[in-house]
Amino acid sequence: MPWRWRWGAAFTTGAALVLTTGCGTVAERRTAAMDAALDFERALGARDGAAVCAMLAPSVREEVERSARTACEEGVLTEEVPSAAPAADDIEGVDVSGRQARVVFPADTLFLSQFSGGWKVIAAGCTPRPQRPYECLLKGG
Amino acid sequence: MSPMSRSVRKFLRENGLGLVFLTLFALAVVGQAFAGHADFNNQLAADDLQQVTLGEYMASSDFAVDVMENWQSEYLQFFLYVFLTVWLVQRGSPESKNPDKIGVESDEEQRVGPHAGSDAPRWAAAGGLRLKLYASSLGYVMGTVFVLSWLAQSITGVAAYNQEQLRQLQAPMSWPKYILSADFWSRTLQNWQSEFLAIASMAVLSIYLRQRGSPESKPVGAAHTATGVEG
Repeated sequence: MPWRWRWGAAFTTGAALVLTTGCGTVAERRTAAMDAALDFERALGARDGAAVCAMLAPSVREEVERSARTACEEGVLTEEVPSAAPAADDIEGVDVSGRQARVVFPADTLFLSQFSGGWKVIAAGCTPRPQRPYECLLKGG
Repeated sequence: MSPMSRSVRKFLRENGLGLVFLTLFALAVVGQAFAGHADFNNQLAADDLQQVTLGEYMASSDFAVDVMENWQSEYLQFFLYVFLTVWLVQRGSPESKNPDKIGVESDEEQRVGPHAGSDAPRWAAAGGLRLKLYASSLGYVMGTVFVLSWLAQSITGVAAYNQEQLRQLQAPMSWPKYILSADFWSRTLQNWQSEFLAIASMAVLSIYLRQRGSPESKPVGAAHTATGVEG
């Protein structure tokens, strides 16, 4: 192989590795974020406090326990986050950038972040505000 | 000394400028990676999010945009410098040619086509399209790398910007909107301004100041009015 092609092949391989390793491909991360969002919404719809809390980021769990003054599993069900039991087709929009994601359902918008245990919800029950961050019923302190 | 080590020493002596700057570049990129990684993790810690490894940071859009925004401005600087010094001069500067040589100059002065010597690059003697391309190849390459790295800055920039937007519970932005955004132009112009100042400083200060032995300076005893003289 001529040296120019070798450099080209090495560069292409390197670029492909950068795009596909570590956090997985964009498509894989998008699917994983959607699955986590669906699991969260289904757990909320089923009023399964333990499953809901398992999907929350540590800081959100702590905030639920602090504000409800009880265990997350109980406290999270007292929050008035809109719940449903959605299917993947109900998702209106997914944005994934690096380790952060936003998943939009008809009745709720979630923000998620990637942790070593998978995608976790960092904010739920969010409604948009012009030129300002979303207002969220459930988020970290 | 063996012939091998003699040839290595000769290679190092004759390529010191390129080798030293490539080494400095590699060291600076590694330093940037370590410092950027620590800074990025500080931001993640402030948001109660999971920190990333050095490898994950180096594969991230945050690292890439910081590298690309500097690359594009450096290549823009050299692209403009190479092209504008054909037509613009600075009297008294070793960075400039004499005012009576403004323009692309004659084929004879440039030793191209029938005026090319036996040791001239083949495309310089060729004429036609090949000569036209080769005669501006330095500028074309600098300009192309500038455009590609600026494009890469915009693509990695929108990814990094959106990641921060999502961390702050804000809506992400599309690429067409991003290239009109304050973030994109702030990153771009803060680099451009320093490059333009550096060129203006070099062109003007080298009229009056000297660096003995440097080809970037006039000879120490050269007159302030002497233009296009390198030491």
